[in-house]
Amino acid sequence: MITTYNCRHTTVYNYTLPVTVSHHAAHLVPRALPTQIIHGNIIRVTPEPAHRSTRTDYFGNNVFFFTLEETHRSLTVESLCTVTLCEHDFPPADETPPWEKVRDFLASARSPEALVACQYVFDSSFVVTSSAVEAYARPSFPPGRPILTAVVDLMHRIHCEFTYDPKATTLATPLKDVLGHRRGVCQDFAHLQIACCRTMGLAARYVSGYVHTCRTPSPTEADCSTMLIGADASHAWLAVYVPGVGWVDLDPTNDTMPSIEHITIAWGRDYDDVSPLKGVVTGGGQHTPRVEVSVTRRPTP
Amino acid sequence: MTEKAMSQVAVKKSVASLLQYSVAARGTFDEMTGPDGQLRPHWADFLAALATLPDGALQKRREKGLRLIRDSGVTYNVYGDKAGKDRPWELDPIPFLIAADEWRILEESLIQRATLLNLILHDLYGAQKLLKDGYLPPSLVFSHPEFWRPLHGASLPRNTSLVLYAADLARSPDGRWWVIGDRTAAPSGAGYALENRIITARIHPDIYKNLWVERLAPFFLKVHETLRRLSPRQGDMPRIVLYTPGPYNETYFEHAYLARYLGITLVDGEDLTNRGDRVYLKTLNGLRQVDVMIRRTDDGYCDPLELRSDSSLGIAGLVQAVHAGTVSVANGLGASVLESPAWLAFLPRLCRVMLHEDLKMPSVATWWCGQKKELNYVMSNLDTLCVRHLLPSLAQPLCGRNLSSAERVNLIERIMASPHNYVAQEIVSLSTAPLWNMNRLESRPVVMRIHLTSYNSSYVAMPGGLTRVAPADGLSTVSMQHGGTSKDTWVLSEKPVEPITLLRPAGAPSKLVRGARDLSSRVADNMFWMGRHLERSELTTRILRAALASHVEGAGQGAGLAQEETLAIVLSMLSGHSVIGDQAADPPCGGERRNPTTLPQESVMRQVIRIHCDPEHFSGLGHSICHLQRIATVVRDRLSLDTWRAIWRLAETVRCTGRGVISQPDGDLDEMLLRLNEVIQMTEALSGLVMENMTRDLSWRFLDAGRRLERAMHVLDLLAGTVEAGTAEDSPVLDVVLGISDSMMTYRARYLVPPALVPLADLLLSDESNPRSLVFQLSALQEHMDAIGVDRMPGTFTPEQKAIIAMLATVRTLDLESPLSVGCAHKVIGNICREMTLKLRTLSEILNLQYFTHAVETLPLFTKP
Repeated sequence: MITTYNCRHTTVYNYTLPVTVSHHAAHLVPRALPTQIIHGNIIRVTPEPAHRSTRTDYFGNNVFFFTLEETHRSLTVESLCTVTLCEHDFPPADETPPWEKVRDFLASARSPEALVACQYVFDSSFVVTSSAVEAYARPSFPPGRPILTAVVDLMHRIHCEFTYDPKATTLATPLKDVLGHRRGVCQDFAHLQIACCRTMGLAARYVSGYVHTCRTPSPTEADCSTMLIGADASHAWLAVYVPGVGWVDLDPTNDTMPSIEHITIAWGRDYDDVSPLKGVVTGGGQHTPRVEVSVTRRPTP
Repeated sequence: MTEKAMSQVAVKKSVASLLQYSVAARGTFDEMTGPDGQLRPHWADFLAALATLPDGALQKRREKGLRLIRDSGVTYNVYGDKAGKDRPWELDPIPFLIAADEWRILEESLIQRATLLNLILHDLYGAQKLLKDGYLPPSLVFSHPEFWRPLHGASLPRNTSLVLYAADLARSPDGRWWVIGDRTAAPSGAGYALENRIITARIHPDIYKNLWVERLAPFFLKVHETLRRLSPRQGDMPRIVLYTPGPYNETYFEHAYLARYLGITLVDGEDLTNRGDRVYLKTLNGLRQVDVMIRRTDDGYCDPLELRSDSSLGIAGLVQAVHAGTVSVANGLGASVLESPAWLAFLPRLCRVMLHEDLKMPSVATWWCGQKKELNYVMSNLDTLCVRHLLPSLAQPLCGRNLSSAERVNLIERIMASPHNYVAQEIVSLSTAPLWNMNRLESRPVVMRIHLTSYNSSYVAMPGGLTRVAPADGLSTVSMQHGGTSKDTWVLSEKPVEPITLLRPAGAPSKLVRGARDLSSRVADNMFWMGRHLERSELTTRILRAALASHVEGAGQGAGLAQEETLAIVLSMLSGHSVIGDQAADPPCGGERRNPTTLPQESVMRQVIRIHCDPEHFSGLGHSICHLQRIATVVRDRLSLDTWRAIWRLAETVRCTGRGVISQPDGDLDEMLLRLNEVIQMTEALSGLVMENMTRDLSWRFLDAGRRLERAMHVLDLLAGTVEAGTAEDSPVLDVVLGISDSMMTYRARYLVPPALVPLADLLLSDESNPRSLVFQLSALQEHMDAIGVDRMPGTFTPEQKAIIAMLATVRTLDLESPLSVGCAHKVIGNICREMTLKLRTLSEILNLQYFTHAVETLPLFTKP
């Protein structure tokens, strides 16, 4: 089964003081994947940037750089893309290797694939492991448990034991507070589960993207009873490396294994590697970003 | 007796009488004497020369060295030191000597090491073959916070990422040199080594000339040539800058020093901007593209967009410019990853793999805990090892044998929690060298830092280096941060050395350059304010002196009412006007005038002086001097050494005066008057230095414009104060005002009558030939602005030119003797003072808008998913 989506991701900054110069880096161009076909992508920036350039980053993501050199009081970045997702099968969780085997494999592996996975085993700026994280993760990792069974169990636990609460955290909230208050947003849950996996010696990466929800139902959509969280803003989840299978995506916010409703934009070690839009501005004073994301399913022809 | 035999005798004498040198620690290597107590051969000539010096001469030379250091302002900033952020550099008069044959081995070994490290860097940020082929454990690289992924794949100019490299060396008891640390990001110390050389050569001119000591200048010529060749642009002279994190960095002195020595522009992050993936220097004449940067800023802080978003020292977009290949950064961003001591454990193997030869100089034995076998070894040998975190900033090295059992358990826990973050190293025993202390030679542990630069696809070493001496015997960590002194390092040649200096490069004469270096907006801003504070300091002191003089004279004659009033008026003219709060000062214009005699005059006077010596007090003299010193630090590379010294001495004198006032509240006021005279002479000398010795370039123009503007405002303040006081025509206040404005002579030459208001006002406002008059300042400002704004279209005027022209017209057409003014001269003068003061303030704002960077913060911007 395949599904095609139109995505629109708008970010608006209104500054209280004029900005004279600003430099931005955006992870807004979706990645092309075997299960994700990109039909087209446009990024509109208002005011018109003085300079644009692109680069593929260390993790293989598309980065879009732009610079504004005229004085402005607001900035609008609108990213439009059309993406087709192909449904894929999940490996039978019970048949995946025991998690300790994966841990030992990563610790000694030399294959190019394992080397790539090794990038995602260690602490990074937003994912700092600790004994508290380890204590939280441990119950999902009894000896000999197949890795996928373990991480799916961990995902269930995070989904059940944590409350989705956009007011509870900010970008700067450290993991230990998220763990303490049991509240957060998709980014916090993704970071938490990544930290749990890494503390067990496993490779886990952060995935940034969009999730399709039924907020703007198209005529072909019959049932919208299962609405996913993550609309209105970009979404985040994680992927865990399973030798022999590859990277398996997990969405602890929605307690689901992403398939044909999650559009992947970029991945990295954590949010810091792939934040959708960052920048350095001269001037600006206070600024309040407004983000809107809409993902609509295109009627199948 | 042959010459040789004579020197032998001299040496014996020296060892016997002068030295009484005994090696403190057994089982270490002493640089000067062998295990049998005999002098090592390469020290013989130096000691023979020392022995011929008269008694006490070495101590005198040491003191001369200290004075030279103070005079040239060599400093080293100590973090977290509130008292004074600069600490004078310390230098021992005994250099560290290296024989020619030994130097050859050192140089060869370090060239090999630099070559190897450069190849490793190239691989890590490129193909990563070392990881793929299994020569490096992935965790070593991937867990390191200084492995900066955004730099991966960045094109390296001429495949050189490691342009400048330094190694810290120690000598083990068996006489072999070991590398104890690699400096690969932004190695410091070469500038200090150079300064040490200049000073040591000056205190031992005789010895330095007679011993064949390798010169340092050729090395810096090569550095310069290498930097020039790094330019991505072909053709014309590349623009090279030294990018400093700023005056609060511990080695800022060196940044300014090297920039000046190499003839390149010193910049900080605010001076640079990225436009269209190119880096530009913000100058008064617009943006100028930068081709090559020596960076002294830590890797992570160089770009807030792609590296550390919390950096306020960086250039947003620098990484992208590096990727675009429009600018060369030396050393390459990301090079700091090699400073991790964990690498020491892998270098021997990597050397065989990459260079197909053995590593020539060993590193201190190092075990990286990220590997099982090594971790087990460390755990079972903790007593003989020192454990370090991979980031030196995170943890002091801990030696197992010095730990309590609780500390030990704690350390083991920390290692086990993240073993890949720790290394253990053998405890280093350093060699000792003689240090001149309390009139005798003592043996002290030393560490030597040797610098290399890439050159012609290989490396060359600076024949010399920075030798640092541990503060006390037996300490194995040596750092200027933790105190300690330094030594010049002499590499002794086997043949006479050609004297070379960077100032006159040999060979074909180079192209003449005038007004060479770019003036950044930030420097212009600082020069302008330096001018203002310089002038303000002098003028404030003049008023203080006038007030004090009037008080001291008055006290002699018995205080009359007129005299008291004069004092009150004079005090009201002090800048800020409210320095002594409600007790004696007056509002600048209008308002109720308090009776100044409510407080005994003498205590008022003392209070005023105390306030002005207090740097904390806003708008006082001390405050101005503080600003002056701070700005001078920031633009130090623009000031001549004499100017720098003069500012330093001025600040010191004002501080001393302040201390005197506080420690002796009833001190002699006459004495104080002398002090103030001294301060005035110093500020005048400083002005003279600036006028006579500074190149008439744009930075001088901004400095002088600042002085002119300040002086103009001051003249208006003085005159307004006089008019406000409503003093009678023959008031002594007029005398005092003439005194303060240093115009007494001019007045007397013009008028035979005692001072009167209208002629005084004319002299201070409209007299074109009086260097203290308003019109004189405006003319000077006009000249500066004409010179600064040369790029404008002919026939058009910049906003600041227009403002000055308008003011000049007003002042030049002022007619104080016209019938309209008769009888109300007070009012006319008062009005003109107010009007002009407002206009000068507007002018200052215009200059700010036109030329100076606004200190607008750059902020990181994020969106939350």
